[in-house]
Amino acid sequence: MTTTMDEPAAGRAATPADGLPRLLPLVPGAPEDLGAHLARYGRPAYRGGPGLLIHGVKAAGLTGRGGAAFPVYRKLAIVAGARGRKVIVANGAESEPASRKDGLLLRAAPNLVLDGLQLAAEAIGASEAHLYLHPGSGPAIGRALSQRAAAGLDWLDVTMTEAPPRFLAGQESALVNRLGGGPALPTFVPPRVSERGLGGAATLVQNVETLAHLALIARYGPRWFRELGTDKEPGSMLTTVHQADGTSQVIEVEIGVPLSTLLASQPAAQALLIGGYHGTWLPMAQAASLTLDNATLNQRGAAVGAGVIAALPADRCGLVEAARVVRYLATESAGQCGPCLNGLPRMAAGLAELAGRGHRKQVRADLERWAGLVTRRGACNHPDGTARFVASALTVFAPEISVHARGHCSATNRAPFLPLPHGMPTTEDDWI
Amino acid sequence: MSGTTAFWYASRATGIVSLLLLTAVLVLGILVNRQGRLPGLPRFAVTSLHRNISLLAVAFIAVHVLTAVLDTYVHIPILAGVIPFASSYERGWLTLGAISFDIMLAMIITSLLRGRLNRTLWKVVHLLAYLSWPVAFAHSIGSSRDLQHGWLLDLSIGCALIVAAAVLWRLAHAARQLPRAARVAAILARHTPPTGTHGPAQARERIAR
Repeated sequence: MTTTMDEPAAGRAATPADGLPRLLPLVPGAPEDLGAHLARYGRPAYRGGPGLLIHGVKAAGLTGRGGAAFPVYRKLAIVAGARGRKVIVANGAESEPASRKDGLLLRAAPNLVLDGLQLAAEAIGASEAHLYLHPGSGPAIGRALSQRAAAGLDWLDVTMTEAPPRFLAGQESALVNRLGGGPALPTFVPPRVSERGLGGAATLVQNVETLAHLALIARYGPRWFRELGTDKEPGSMLTTVHQADGTSQVIEVEIGVPLSTLLASQPAAQALLIGGYHGTWLPMAQAASLTLDNATLNQRGAAVGAGVIAALPADRCGLVEAARVVRYLATESAGQCGPCLNGLPRMAAGLAELAGRGHRKQVRADLERWAGLVTRRGACNHPDGTARFVASALTVFAPEISVHARGHCSATNRAPFLPLPHGMPTTEDDWI
Repeated sequence: MSGTTAFWYASRATGIVSLLLLTAVLVLGILVNRQGRLPGLPRFAVTSLHRNISLLAVAFIAVHVLTAVLDTYVHIPILAGVIPFASSYERGWLTLGAISFDIMLAMIITSLLRGRLNRTLWKVVHLLAYLSWPVAFAHSIGSSRDLQHGWLLDLSIGCALIVAAAVLWRLAHAARQLPRAARVAAILARHTPPTGTHGPAQARERIAR
């Protein structure tokens, strides 16, 4: 690392705490009000002008925590360097049904997210700040915003916008369309929102957890940030872990921890879903030896994504679970691009056939072919993510496919396992 | 038949083939736009066919222009292929040909760069196809004695009727299009097997939950 470290000016930062948690309250379940927040972290470490924080973020190696793990400093630099008006959006519309970490962060540590929003706004020279979130987190944020206004912490007003309960609502271009008053539907890139976003202004969209990390980097510096995590993927991250016993919790972990440390040993799990419903299934035997970082997971065709990890218990049928999820993903297609509109329902029907007994012989090959056909052919990555999920399910649950072909199913528990919302969009208003 | 008349015949022949190809490209384009299918072909094959025949048509038009220029029977400057009013021979009709060809080139260039272009720009340029085809048709009928009588006239009228029918079908289809929100549900219902096939109803129930 040759970049100079951007250490905070003396006297500005409170003493950083070592270890974990960095973002979540020290006492679980106790949301921090502004007083507790200031006592723990101090006031936001404004730099006094645009651009100044960016090399600190670069040195810290912070990556986006919304799923794509894109280097944050690059987005900051692109928007900071754009001409004209600039807009910043904190994206808290965690639309993945199996993820709860953004909602929890917004309720438990709203001030850290808002600090990050203001600091990133300063870094890019934004003139407009937005927070895009689901209604559940609204009250906590509203309270924090009024307390902060009284304390004079913020230099930019924050507009809150509610995200519709749709899977694609948090996708960058869908978000910009929603903030612009339209339905939350993805559009084709280019133009990227960092070049032409809300009202034509260069728009920086960052996940709320990313902004919370950025707020800490501004206070404690990149060297502190790198004390946890791997060299390539430093820091901590929030994960939503679904244990095989049906419980789930949001845990803040160091990037690069062994997956086995996150999972309870009992009851036995047969497979691990990593990265949520656009993610990848891995057989438990393989997953147990892996660590939670993209450098390791990418070698197995998986990615950390937004930190969703689900252990499928041994008594459930992976094919039924996969078919449930793909049916849901198909209903969440925006219906704009042919490959997604036509391909996803077909894949859902194909998996449903595999989940039943005595399926036709060619179904598995059809599914693999369709997964290849829809990939990279949509405006957003919804078909790609769904295809990845389907392809990995076909591999991991291949033994179960043979069992089903003989008219049996090895599951003993028929209750649905992975969390799915109810209600598919039926009118245009469902995207608003 | 001397060498130059060979060019003249080649130009006339490739012109007629180009008209047929352009008709096919327009009809396939309308089919792609309405997400229609050809019997026995998957949906994406219609798109590929549209793309490949359009490239083939441009190749034929290039030969059509070049042979007309190389021919010494009449003098046509090479630039008349792309620049309006550049030819003194049949100035009006060749101008129409040049305009139509320019629009096609614009459509092809924007399509090749589609991944890097603004989607709206691509779409606007592509909509010019509905201008390009009639202009090319007028050029064909106007500048070619061949197409003004006999079975080639019938062929041209046939092309025009096919294009008119396809455009009318597109307009009618767009008018009774499902609202976007209902499309996914409709397609899902079409692909979900009815009760009684592929495994017990129990599995389907578990999936629907």
